[in-house]
Amino acid sequence: MGVNYQTVLWNRNKKIYDRWIGLSMLIYLISFIGLTFITNVQTSVETLIIRAFGTLAIVLLHIILVIGPLSRINTRFLPLLYNRRHLGVSMFLAALIHGGFSLFQFHTLGNVNPIYALFSSNMDYNSLKNFPFQVLGFFALIILFLMAATSHDFWLKNLSAKSWKRLHMMVYFAYALIIMHVFLGSFQQQPSLWSTAILSFGFVVITALHISTGSKERKLDHIKTTDTNEGWDYVCDIDEIPEDRAKIFIVDNERIAVFKYNNKLSAISNVCKHQGGPLGEGKVVDGCVTCPWHGYQYLPHNGQSPPPFTEQVSTYRLKLIDKKVYVSPKALPEGTEVDPVIFNN
Amino acid sequence: MKEKDDFFIGYIDEISNKTKVTLKTFVSLSLGFLILIAIVFALTQNTFKNSSFELTTSTKITGVYHEMPYPMLKVKTDKNEFKTIMLLGFGKLSANPFLKKIKRQTPNLSGSMLSIEGNLIYYNGKTLLQITSDEKITLLEKANPNRVPKAEYIAKNIELQGEIIDPKCYFGVMKPGNGKIHRSCAVLCISGGIPPVLATTDQNNISEYYIVTDLEGKPINKAILPYIGKPSIVSGTIYKLEDWYQLRISTNHIKELHLPSNIY
Repeated sequence: MGVNYQTVLWNRNKKIYDRWIGLSMLIYLISFIGLTFITNVQTSVETLIIRAFGTLAIVLLHIILVIGPLSRINTRFLPLLYNRRHLGVSMFLAALIHGGFSLFQFHTLGNVNPIYALFSSNMDYNSLKNFPFQVLGFFALIILFLMAATSHDFWLKNLSAKSWKRLHMMVYFAYALIIMHVFLGSFQQQPSLWSTAILSFGFVVITALHISTGSKERKLDHIKTTDTNEGWDYVCDIDEIPEDRAKIFIVDNERIAVFKYNNKLSAISNVCKHQGGPLGEGKVVDGCVTCPWHGYQYLPHNGQSPPPFTEQVSTYRLKLIDKKVYVSPKALPEGTEVDPVIFNN
Repeated sequence: MKEKDDFFIGYIDEISNKTKVTLKTFVSLSLGFLILIAIVFALTQNTFKNSSFELTTSTKITGVYHEMPYPMLKVKTDKNEFKTIMLLGFGKLSANPFLKKIKRQTPNLSGSMLSIEGNLIYYNGKTLLQITSDEKITLLEKANPNRVPKAEYIAKNIELQGEIIDPKCYFGVMKPGNGKIHRSCAVLCISGGIPPVLATTDQNNISEYYIVTDLEGKPINKAILPYIGKPSIVSGTIYKLEDWYQLRISTNHIKELHLPSNIY
């Protein structure tokens, strides 16, 4: 969390994360370039740069795409999600070097504008075999640029979390474009069972992880209470909620989180104002609900971030009958104070 | 941090041991995959040709200029031995824009003795020269029609299988300078006036190269663009022009083979 915008709010974990990103990229580049020099000595520097950075970007994109679902499956992967945007920007830079060198190498110094040349040099758009695969890479790079350029919290705040999320979900479209770019380009010119197998394996892993987490979330969204009491929905027994933790429920088609802390119960929206993280998977730390994704905090009884922060989420009224927890499905305006339900152990 | 309630907060240094183990496993596996993928991608590349492009070295060559139909220089390499060097412009352009100035001064340039400084491109017995400035072309002797080489008729209705390439990239500037990945660049080069060349390889892996012109022996840059970088059968009439072959064709006689590029 930050009050003012800074380029990067550095902390120890971010520094360690970035060091590993740099080291991994270096290891990949040294391995690819070294092996090519040893086994294929007649290579040219330009080709080596284009291929080394292009393949590096694809590998990084795969890692980026598995981090999300892995974090949903096991919270111990959450530290990987915490600074994923730095990995995303690094991946974009690798893709930019690949794309920039390719554009310069193949499309500049001609008798037409390089961008025009990119789209018009090969006009076989109606043929899968001869398709101008460069165009796919170009559009993917534009998406990755938009994502990298808006990765800072400044844009998250100014675009609104919903629009920002929509924009960043385009990474899946970019991934599809990149896969087609590779299969219709490099793999057509130099078919290799091993290279094809690696990208296919990557695709299967990413798809399987997303389907698995997606179906888990879908199941959660379809659980509806049948026990209602004068406009209050029964959600669970009090013993089902761990101390300083929450349970997530769907009321009125919205996900809410019911927290138990210090012999109190409070309910707030499950959606963090920062990046839409699941607050119900967070924890009450120092009296504040703490988002598991980036540590944004809210006071459980009013959904307000503690001063000087200004984020606010909706709150919900709760009541306790015996050990049964009931929630009023009507969301209160963001930041509305609601007295917590107090109970005795 | 208590292991039983493991909760990571990015801006707090403390991380549970179990989370540390998970992260170490993930990072180790990722690094392993990273190296494996680097090995696979590096080792599955096609073998690069031993072609050369002397980008940073200038060489001055002297010879007889002629255009049939593309600018060439016949250079004496030894007693009674000559090599015909194809002249090219900077970037993806033909030599013509760089020859404009000297052509204004000497309108009939064919048969003139010129000295040209540029960057050599060579592979498999063929040499080309990139001209980077019209200031580097010097007229040594005025045109002598007797010095202009003559195209020698070889055969007609000959079918050749190969790929139409742009010679600048193929003979050294780019690796690879052929096939689908390079097609857009080759199209741009040939539309910029660089002579199209049909590269063929026989069963014994011996390559031959044919400068492609239209049926009258004139440049064919525009009409041939849709066929560049695609393995094809091309039929036409063959002429010999010193140490190059010339293939005079009509684009109606190009048959696409729908095969992967294979002229390494």
